[in-house]
Amino acid sequence: MKRDFKKCVTFASLLMLLLLSIGGVGAQDPVTITWWTLASAESPEPAIRAVIEAFEAEHPNIKVDVTIMTESAYGDLMNTTLGAGEGAPDVAYFWETPWLPHALDITDRLEADPDLSRDDYFEHYFNTRAVWNDRVIGLPFTVGANFVMYNKDIFDEEGIDYPTADWTPWDFIEIAKALTDPDKRRWGGDRPRGPFRAVFKNIGATNPYSDDSTTVEGYLNGPESVEAYTWLWDLVDSGATPTPADIEVLGTEGTGPVDLFIAGRLAMATLNNGHMITARNAGVNFGVVPEPHVPGKDRYVHGWALTSSIWKETEHPDEAYEFLSFWVGPEGQRINMEIGALVPSLPSVLAEYPDADTDYFQGFMQVLDAKQTAEWRAAHPCWRGAVIRAVSDAWDLIMLGEIERDEVQATLDAMVAPGQAALDECVPRLGG
Amino acid sequence: MKTDARALSIQRQLRRSAARRRYARLVGHALVYALMIFLALIFMLPIFWMASTSLKLPREIFAWPPEWIPSTPQWGNFAEAFGKYPLARYMLNSAILVIANIIGGLISVPIIAYGFARFEFPFKNALFLLMLSTMMVPGHIKLIPMFWLYSRLELIDTYWPLILPAYFGNPFFVFLMTQYIRTIPRDLDDAARIDGAGAWGILYRIIIPLSRPALTVVVVFTFVWVWNDFLEPIIFLRDWDSYPISVGLAFFQGRYSVEWHLFMGATLVSIIPILVVYFFAQKHLIGGLASIGIKG
Repeated sequence: MKRDFKKCVTFASLLMLLLLSIGGVGAQDPVTITWWTLASAESPEPAIRAVIEAFEAEHPNIKVDVTIMTESAYGDLMNTTLGAGEGAPDVAYFWETPWLPHALDITDRLEADPDLSRDDYFEHYFNTRAVWNDRVIGLPFTVGANFVMYNKDIFDEEGIDYPTADWTPWDFIEIAKALTDPDKRRWGGDRPRGPFRAVFKNIGATNPYSDDSTTVEGYLNGPESVEAYTWLWDLVDSGATPTPADIEVLGTEGTGPVDLFIAGRLAMATLNNGHMITARNAGVNFGVVPEPHVPGKDRYVHGWALTSSIWKETEHPDEAYEFLSFWVGPEGQRINMEIGALVPSLPSVLAEYPDADTDYFQGFMQVLDAKQTAEWRAAHPCWRGAVIRAVSDAWDLIMLGEIERDEVQATLDAMVAPGQAALDECVPRLGG
Repeated sequence: MKTDARALSIQRQLRRSAARRRYARLVGHALVYALMIFLALIFMLPIFWMASTSLKLPREIFAWPPEWIPSTPQWGNFAEAFGKYPLARYMLNSAILVIANIIGGLISVPIIAYGFARFEFPFKNALFLLMLSTMMVPGHIKLIPMFWLYSRLELIDTYWPLILPAYFGNPFFVFLMTQYIRTIPRDLDDAARIDGAGAWGILYRIIIPLSRPALTVVVVFTFVWVWNDFLEPIIFLRDWDSYPISVGLAFFQGRYSVEWHLFMGATLVSIIPILVVYFFAQKHLIGGLASIGIKG
């Protein structure tokens, strides 16, 4: 009897312990992860809140503490917290190269994910924006690309046919000249914003230096490069484009000449899908066409996505991945597309885009599968890190109209030595 | 007779001379006023452009020829701007920060400046120099250590990092105030001391009442600096509802474009408090700055 009583007490104690432990698990506080993001036309504040609401409904044990900040604040805050080594968010955009070493390697997590894979994304965008040192360090949120937007009303007014995808860089100059009207303070087109971007590559310019990052001679001053710089000379000489100073004073700083385009003072402009929404909202009658290229040569596009990553010091990597894959996966991007105006980086979701049937959106879709200038740039950080500055005189002299057309070759020849010196200095500095 | 005629002639000459002087003075004043009006118009131009832009459609903003007064004013831009982001809330947050900082400055600055101006203590000059040298350190350099410090104190995402420094004395204001207090005759301190006032009594009954112009400078400058401060709020605040107006305005600047018409409308409303404060304080402010410059 006494033994039975002891057994009962022991059993009751164990049962109680078990119940308590189950109760403990049930009452456990949910894990809270921090997320920093930006409010924009593509992803406005209500869309951000809706993403969180949908995620938390699916994952009741994970709470998301969001900080929505301004574009101009984001860089300062990331630099400060990553520099301090504390206070950075679990999930955020990691769009600056110096931030990438602070991002968590999610290669294995993505491979093990049954609901998401790298094949779900646009291939070029994934490779250029989510992969670093052969590891997956994030997922590409949205896609952006440059293309030429043209004002249909101005074309109609001047009786000129709209440009089509098979136009060449020299067609661009001729059309720009025909659309320029000094009396109306109107320019026909804009200028590229740097060498070896899409139009340079479309003309046939290879790269400013060799793929193995050893040689500038024969690349920067090679015949294809000279042809591209000469095209630039012709464009500047045409008088059909605003100067960089015009753009700086009259345009929106750092975001392209969209203001001049919307005001009808620029008939064609190299803009992006964000500008497309701005122009649509402003009631501009416009069309979209890929940047001009030379038939028979590869077509390139200057494209980008927002690298969205997990901070590698996070205390909750599993929960952070759950959220990242939701936000940058089909559900999160669809919410942003429906509430905001996000262009998703997943072709399956992009197919549902509300404006997908419009002419301008179809024009935009044409550039998404083109080769990206970013592929070479991402693999050659010394171009933006050092060489571009060393050889910028050639660009500046042409932009300022300081040299004659037949001096382009000699000017590029003169840039080889400083370019080579910058490359030789940079390559070992960045670890080869 | 001859003398009378001569006196009359002299009187006429004097009258003519006085009339010429009056005329010259009038012309001089007219020129000065014309110049001042011209300069005022030039300085007003950006504000006028802001007001004009706030009433336009996006495609009208950079159109040529520019339309200074929009033919169809878009009054709805103001409602759209304030509906898009909680700007009224952000203005209230800015007001809270401004008031808290002004109180901090009015408490700390006179005490510290009084110490430097009236007392002798070891290493006084070195400490004053050290304090002044902190003004030379660029703000960005201090960001990471400050973030680290406030993070350890668990004060991130609170207003404390934006308020606390004011309670430890802004070096620029301490310098101004020290110079100002040095111009107040010590005889007044001695007289108060004879009447039984201690150091605190002298500070609050003599120094502070006589330092009103310098304190006005502290108030107005603190108001403008805190109202316009952008960097520190973005570093220390996280909550959407806690941002000040300076951060709220930046939301109109997107990744790809700026909503100029809304941005200008919101900015126009946001500068009204500063204009009001400056309007009421300008007499003291100019007097305060001038007296510090002359007497210092």
